[in-house]
Amino acid sequence: LEVVESPERRAMADPGSAGSSVRTDVIEALTDLEELERVYTQLCSEETQVEVELQALVEKQGGVESKMQLLQRMGPNLQLIEGDAAQLGGMISFTCSLAENVSSKVRQLDLTKKRLYQAIQRTDDILDLKFCTDGVQTALRNNDYEQAAAHIHRYLSLDQSVIELSRQGGEGSGVEASLALLQEAELQLKALVTKRLEEAVSAGDLPQVERFFKILPLLGLHEQGLAHFAHYLCGQLASKAEENLLLAVGSDLGERRAAVIFADTLTLLLEGIARIVETHQPIVETYYGPGRLYTLLTHLQTECDRQAQSVVDRFMQQRDYLNKFQVVQGSMLRSVSTEKMEARELDPVLSEVTLMNSRAELYLRFLRRRIMADFEVADATSAGSVVQEHQQCVQRLLKECELSCRMQELIGYYVPMEEYYMRETINKAVAMDTWEAGQLTSSMVDDTFYIVKKCISRALSSSSSDCLCAMINHATSVLETDFREVLVARLRVGYPGSTLADLQRGVSSAVSLMQSSLQHGKIHTHIDSQEQAKHAYLVTLNNVDVCSENISTLKKSLESDCSKLFSQGAGSDQAQAKIDSCLSDLVNTSSKFKDLLQEGLLELNNSAIKPQVKPWISNFLSVSHNIEEEEFSDYEANDPWVQQLIVQLEQLMVEFKVALSPVIYDTLTSLMTNLITTEMEKTVFKCTFSRLGGLQFDKELRSLVAYLSSVTSWTIRDKFARLTQMATILNLERVTEILDYWGPNSAPLTWRLTPAEVRQVLALRVDFRSEDIKRLRL
Amino acid sequence: MSMEDYDYLFKIVLIGNAGVGKTCLVRRFTQGLFPPGQGATIGVDFMIKTVEIRGVKVKLQIWDTAGQERFRSITQSYYRSANALILTYDITCEDSFRCLPEWLREIEQYANSQVVTILVGNKIDLAEKREVVRQRAEDFAESQSMLYLETSAKESDNVEKLFLDLACELIREAKQNTLDNSDAAAVPGEGKSISYLTCCSLN
Repeated sequence: LEVVESPERRAMADPGSAGSSVRTDVIEALTDLEELERVYTQLCSEETQVEVELQALVEKQGGVESKMQLLQRMGPNLQLIEGDAAQLGGMISFTCSLAENVSSKVRQLDLTKKRLYQAIQRTDDILDLKFCTDGVQTALRNNDYEQAAAHIHRYLSLDQSVIELSRQGGEGSGVEASLALLQEAELQLKALVTKRLEEAVSAGDLPQVERFFKILPLLGLHEQGLAHFAHYLCGQLASKAEENLLLAVGSDLGERRAAVIFADTLTLLLEGIARIVETHQPIVETYYGPGRLYTLLTHLQTECDRQAQSVVDRFMQQRDYLNKFQVVQGSMLRSVSTEKMEARELDPVLSEVTLMNSRAELYLRFLRRRIMADFEVADATSAGSVVQEHQQCVQRLLKECELSCRMQELIGYYVPMEEYYMRETINKAVAMDTWEAGQLTSSMVDDTFYIVKKCISRALSSSSSDCLCAMINHATSVLETDFREVLVARLRVGYPGSTLADLQRGVSSAVSLMQSSLQHGKIHTHIDSQEQAKHAYLVTLNNVDVCSENISTLKKSLESDCSKLFSQGAGSDQAQAKIDSCLSDLVNTSSKFKDLLQEGLLELNNSAIKPQVKPWISNFLSVSHNIEEEEFSDYEANDPWVQQLIVQLEQLMVEFKVALSPVIYDTLTSLMTNLITTEMEKTVFKCTFSRLGGLQFDKELRSLVAYLSSVTSWTIRDKFARLTQMATILNLERVTEILDYWGPNSAPLTWRLTPAEVRQVLALRVDFRSEDIKRLRL
Repeated sequence: MSMEDYDYLFKIVLIGNAGVGKTCLVRRFTQGLFPPGQGATIGVDFMIKTVEIRGVKVKLQIWDTAGQERFRSITQSYYRSANALILTYDITCEDSFRCLPEWLREIEQYANSQVVTILVGNKIDLAEKREVVRQRAEDFAESQSMLYLETSAKESDNVEKLFLDLACELIREAKQNTLDNSDAAAVPGEGKSISYLTCCSLN
């Protein structure tokens, strides 16, 4: 029981040390003297400590007593405060109720004031109504339509419920009478003003038209007003357009702008409408509010469509457009056509069509900008769906109008004709191909690209991205197939090899060349026609090279032209993406020409270089490399092989160097170098070498590498890596010396020869024993 | 243009009479929506969607052409470079089916000979108005060795399948072609697959 102390006891015992730390029962249980003494001293020290604490407490007694007295004295004061507080509470609640009282009165006053205002408003309205009634009568009598309309407008803008209420009021009969009068006046005025407007429209009296046009919106007749006004404007437009068309049809063919007279007529029509918009938009906006331009232009567009239609019809008739298209289509379907159209004849009409389309596009862009801006003001606070609907309306108006359709139709005919023009003109350029001495390329390449550029640029000038894309597609197709085929055919004739080699290889081509020259009744010497064929081949190689370059140039220039067009606001991102895609197809053809060039160069290497170079290299065999000191120094004085080879190569290549563009020449040299190295390798394996013979070979190789390095801008040392390594091996003192260069000792050298090949080369040395070579660990 | 991450690029051109639903098919596939009250397409529209088929990234360039006659000469210019043509008709419109031979003549004339053509009968959601029996269309497609599929752009039936099947077929052919081309070096014709590397060098 004693073991568990209650928290209170512990609290009493610990902080004040009031109880002893040694409990009585513990003391009683003590038996050991030493223990007793220890407890005793402990208790003694505790006692003194308690005494000290008691003393301190006794000292504090005085202070505590004086504080108690102070508190007793404060008692009555507290009662006073309580009384004051109760009083304050009373005052506050009084003030509160007072304030509420006052504010409710103010509210009542407010209400009364509002009602009073309403009453005044209504009285005003009724007075206005009366005033309007009287005013309308007077104004109508005086033919002052503006005034009358203003009165009606005032009446219409009155709150209908107010009028209803007034009618129920005491003064009912009087109000009713004036209302009836007003309604009658309204109808009368509407009929009158509409009639006057109609009269003014049919009389073509602009001031009167504008006068009544301004009155109609006051009577709530916005749609009618716009319709009548548009009717007037259409009439003006029609007469002007008809007059212009008559002038165009009757115009002299010799006139400066005769070739584009229909484009000009269309331009006049479209500019006329644009001017109408410029002039009349402010009135419409002022009297009808924003968002009405669309309605007006819908009316105007029908007239525009009608007039554009007749311009286009006349154009098609006068320029024989459809017939031209059919002839072109016919001759494109059947390659051998009965009736062929001279491409040049199409030139003017194609230009005129693109001009017409670009004018129409410009006009439609103008309309879109104006209508959208007008809607934007009106729709500033409208819901998104309204905005979207308006956008769709505009889209539909512009895309589906007859003007757009007719233009699309014209472009639809234009594209095949432009394609035909491009193909035919390129065919002509190919047929008239000429080559001038000193020129690397012949005329047809530049001519062809000039034509392609011209046709695509013309398509671009139509401002129609679809038209442009279609022409880029056709150009890609013409270049990639037709024009490339021409070059392929010319390369296929082959490069006539010279003399003996030719007889082995190119008999057929030479014969065909002979035959063709015989057929033409020309007497060419064999040499002459051969020279021509050589030139033709090299020029064609240059042509192919220039083609791939020109395609890239063409693409770049078209891109910059397109961006110019787009910066003027034509076309969308969508159109841009389409054009980019078509242009990237165009530039893809460039690689086809590069491939063709590579093929042509391989052919040239095989037919013209290989047959010559091979025997020159084989000559190496006839120069013994199993030599002694005497022969070695003799070789030193009279070079047995390499100098002659270099001279021969120089002579062989000079022809190509002059006739080929530097880049192609370089590629050809590189092909030739490959040929030399493979042939050399083959040849070396057929020889035997002494130590000095190896040294001689090394010298010869160095000369050859030095020469070839000097004639090409490519690094060729790499191509000679294997041969150089062979020379190194042939130069060794002993078989085992190879180990100084092999494996871990190879250091900077990367071996291109396999171990088997190394053994094979070592075996070429007459002085190396085959057992030694076999014993090598490679 | 930056380097683009795809293994194949294919051009797909949709053709067929006006109003058979070409634009809706493209919109459904590329944007997942069916635009009601779609106006007639003007000229040619252009959309891109990249899909992944068994780990192969395929970029589909989809050219949606206008069906109306007056745009014909513009749309024809796209046939030659197309890898695939989707010839579309409307199963509720006998007329659009009857025009198919005419479309095939166009394909014959303008498209390259290796082009993959698929015949698509659209609007199967309007089953009660069907005018062209499925069997008839299937027979016709077979006689012209075309694939055949019926779709609904509105209900999104078979639309995904149409483009993905086509992509699979094109991948298969492209692989076949690269094999053929590596056998016979320097073929004058063109390989249809545009590999990753060649694309980059062009852009």
